[in-house]
Amino acid sequence: MKLGQHTPGSVQSLAGRHVAITGGTAGLGLALVREFLDRGADVAFVARKPDGVVRVAQELPRAHGIIGDVSNKDDIHRIALQLLGALGRIDVLINNASDLGPTPLALLADTECEDFQRALMTNVLGPFRLTKALLGSLAASARETAGAVVLNISSDAALTPYARWGAYGASKAALHHLTRIWEQELTGTGIHFLSLDPGDMDTAMHAAAIPDADRSSLKRPEVAARELADAIGAVLPALHTEQPAKHPRESKGVWSV
Amino acid sequence: MIAASQPIQRRRDAKLLVIRRNGALAHWPRSALVELLQPGDLLVANDAATLPASLAGFHVGTGRSIEVRLAGRRSLDPTDVGAFLAVIFGAGDFRTRTEDRPAPPEIVPGDRLQLGPLNAIVETLENHPRLARIRFEGSAAHIWSGLARHGKPIQYAHVPQPLALWDVWAPIAGPVVAFEPPSAGFALSWEMMRAMAAKGIELATLTHAAGISSTGDPLLDARLPFDEPYRIPMYTANAIAKAKQRRSQVIAMGTTVVRALEDAAQTDGRVKTGPGIATRKIGPTTLLRVVDALVSGTHERGTSHYELLRAFAPSTTLDRMEKQLDSHGYTTHEFGDSILIEKATVRPAGRPSPTAQ
Repeated sequence: MKLGQHTPGSVQSLAGRHVAITGGTAGLGLALVREFLDRGADVAFVARKPDGVVRVAQELPRAHGIIGDVSNKDDIHRIALQLLGALGRIDVLINNASDLGPTPLALLADTECEDFQRALMTNVLGPFRLTKALLGSLAASARETAGAVVLNISSDAALTPYARWGAYGASKAALHHLTRIWEQELTGTGIHFLSLDPGDMDTAMHAAAIPDADRSSLKRPEVAARELADAIGAVLPALHTEQPAKHPRESKGVWSV
Repeated sequence: MIAASQPIQRRRDAKLLVIRRNGALAHWPRSALVELLQPGDLLVANDAATLPASLAGFHVGTGRSIEVRLAGRRSLDPTDVGAFLAVIFGAGDFRTRTEDRPAPPEIVPGDRLQLGPLNAIVETLENHPRLARIRFEGSAAHIWSGLARHGKPIQYAHVPQPLALWDVWAPIAGPVVAFEPPSAGFALSWEMMRAMAAKGIELATLTHAAGISSTGDPLLDARLPFDEPYRIPMYTANAIAKAKQRRSQVIAMGTTVVRALEDAAQTDGRVKTGPGIATRKIGPTTLLRVVDALVSGTHERGTSHYELLRAFAPSTTLDRMEKQLDSHGYTTHEFGDSILIEKATVRPAGRPSPTAQ
């Protein structure tokens, strides 16, 4: 699905929503972290490189930074544990972390299978595993607040077969289809699954894919982040007055053994 | 009973012994659970995910190896992870039966414990040389990250392979507050939840910080379960009130659900919404106000879980249950087979049930 144009002046508050974003230290992911913070959400982000996580966490002290690699099976529950530790519950999961496959981009016949495998682990299995690990929390949020969202970041390469985009395109096609099956299977749970194409953006990832692109023709990631936040806001009902977010501290005297 | 030694949450051949309110017993495959429930019934499950609560390290004063098992906390608040109740073992790990584990060095308040990337200070001992309140140093984020990197799920010698977090998180696991898995929830697949919804069986959740099931020390084991914080969402309290109104059964998925619901129970069978701390032990003299039936693992005599069953059925029925579990090869512990036990029409202590069912 392509995103519609954002109409200025209609920013929906997402205060009280608990949002987890992977790949949150650069490009679209960082713009999403900023956008959701601006809308009042509680945000935790995940990224592989410790220095990047520390840098963004220092710049945006309200955001919780978590170091982890979604392409690594052993990291998934460690990430889920820390996301739930930081946010208490998850209402919105954005699987944004992405891998291009071979760079520079290569014909499939020239693609090393290790590069393809890394793209599949990051773009398909990682989002599958993280969604599965957080599904209980998302379902509880959906029951309590009448809605939860998993957004998987897609691409036009998921639908159109572009030469030299084989690893990336095939992995994004798989992610797009996976999203639709999640949506199909979990109908009635209140968890909504979105697969959205943010468009061609002026990011480091785009530069790695197409180094000689005319940057002035590319969308700014902040614009895409605003459109994605609008799309998420559109499927989330208004929060109930009873928010499950806070755990009032119990009186400390009654806890005994 | 035989211990289930493979960490498989939903074995295809898992068994279910059904203990009816009139004392009748019947064997079912656990996959038939949905068939045994009626449209309108409300199944309440515990959605607590399990902490990696076993922390290997050493006692700084003596340099000796220890294992710290986190065992209790005063709230479910994810920012309140400094203070824990903990059971401290000497050298070794789960491969040694807890009752055979060496004692830790002598621990006194003020002692420092180095647990991988986490540092903790012993604040008090709780009337036992191995039970302490400890406090981790650092921010909540530092503690969560330390637990993620260094902690392992608490496990026992009957499962030989080391457990990963995915082995102990049930399909509905959400808030990470349990010290050991609320394992009755292992039986709940998403396929089963779909089948329940299609049949008009409601599912609701609460969050209860399930504590540890065994310490290997008879004096400590006699004090189990420790106090456990829980939280009941408003929609769950409402679903219970509606089920009571239409005279449908409220079925607890796991002993922790019984403990939370009965702690929050009011005299009319409604439950209070919000946070609480379950302090009471449930046993033969407990009047169950909310829960009509329980789906649970198979439990052995002498454990606090078995005592809890005595609130549901008289000892004559439980004796027959035990014989059937043994003679039909049921397995026990967290990955074992299950029972569905209905609250007896005639109460164990001879009193009638508080509400007509």
